Amino acid sequence: MIKEKSLKELLAEFDEIVAWFDGDDLDIDAAIAKFEAGSKLADEIKKKLAESKNKIEIVKKKFNVSAMDRGEGDEKVDE
Amino acid sequence: MNNVPVFEVSDAVAIFNQILETATPAVAVVGEVANFKINQNKWVFFDIKDAESTLNCFMSVFNLHGVIEDGMRVEVLARPQITKWGKFSLTIQNVRPVGAGSIKRAFELLRAKLDAEGLFAIERKRTLPELPDRIGVISSTDAAGYADFIKILNERMSGISIEVAHVQVQGDAAPEQIIAALKYFNEQKNPPEVIAILRGGGSRDDLMAFDDERLVREIAASRVPIITGIGHEIDTTLTDLAADVRAATPSNAVQILVPDRREIISTLDFQLSNLINESETRLNEIETRVVDNCSRMPERIDHALSEIEYKLKFLNAALQQLNPRTILRRGYAIVRGQNGKVLRTAAVGETLIIENYDSEITATVEKISRKT
Repeated sequence: MIKEKSLKELLAEFDEIVAWFDGDDLDIDAAIAKFEAGSKLADEIKKKLAESKNKIEIVKKKFNVSAMDRGEGDEKVDE
Repeated sequence: MNNVPVFEVSDAVAIFNQILETATPAVAVVGEVANFKINQNKWVFFDIKDAESTLNCFMSVFNLHGVIEDGMRVEVLARPQITKWGKFSLTIQNVRPVGAGSIKRAFELLRAKLDAEGLFAIERKRTLPELPDRIGVISSTDAAGYADFIKILNERMSGISIEVAHVQVQGDAAPEQIIAALKYFNEQKNPPEVIAILRGGGSRDDLMAFDDERLVREIAASRVPIITGIGHEIDTTLTDLAADVRAATPSNAVQILVPDRREIISTLDFQLSNLINESETRLNEIETRVVDNCSRMPERIDHALSEIEYKLKFLNAALQQLNPRTILRRGYAIVRGQNGKVLRTAAVGETLIIENYDSEITATVEKISRKT
């Protein structure tokens, strides 16, 4: 199964493309291909930013010392 | 002495202690500290007094979570007790400075002590991850500061996993709970990339939990980088000083922790349009070079032609030098036999035809002698 790329990975790929354009030799055919790849990545990043939500979970464990002494609750919600 | 109970001394002390414990199992006493001393780095002794009275106090150094000195006004939480030497003393569970002057003094003393140990040194500060996937939050989920943090986080960024440890962020229990939460995150096999400790504004007294020595040490020891967003912008707690990054408020902590998705998108668009511009510039450069080369072509051809012409002239001159006619003009002659072939040897009596520049001479060989 192909793992979906994380935002961080997509941004890193995009940065690589931007850096390629800073190189000395610019091959026009390659530049067009890189540009297309870059704009595709940008769309993917935007889509990811628009779609995904933050996942917030409250740790079930109680942090007051007496509860810890009793060894209560070490598990988390949603995991 | 009838009807009066009789005890051995030890029993009497035990009875008195029982009575004391029933009557005042715990008591808070406020007064000024005198004769403060720590023995063997284990036991703390001091007196607490006012204008008229003095009480002896005793505690374990483990219950001392800050710096106390003579003259400081403190509140002690204690259990009254008669020692086996018959001395009345307070066994202290907790001591904290009270009154603005003492609180400030205790803060400054602890700050100086921890600073001298290097806990606040700039070299210890770590940079936070640029775009964290996982954030651990230590806060009270009921606090306004926490709500602000989550609200602004959701506005700015998405796709982040946030694990929240709900703790008290105020009061005597707060330091221990925050320490337990820090341990919880730090001991995870795959801990979050950064921990945010958050508490909204309040009075400076409300933030005292964040000046607890144990907590400050735990912050400094955390292997996960820590950002704090505690109180208002003007408040600086010792926790803030020990953290890797101090944000002014919980909202400010989000701004430091994660980029705004709108910024990411506008940067992407800007960079993409830059790529187009860059490509155009490069194309223009190539075009200019081609045009330039073309315009210089006739000049180059001329140059090449005159070079060829020069070479031809040179060759011509060289050929002229090698032409036999030219050589005859210089006084040489060609000797042939009667068959017209150039002679290399001849016999006596043989007829020769000698050609010089302007005549042909027929001659007969009379004598041949070898050159030495």
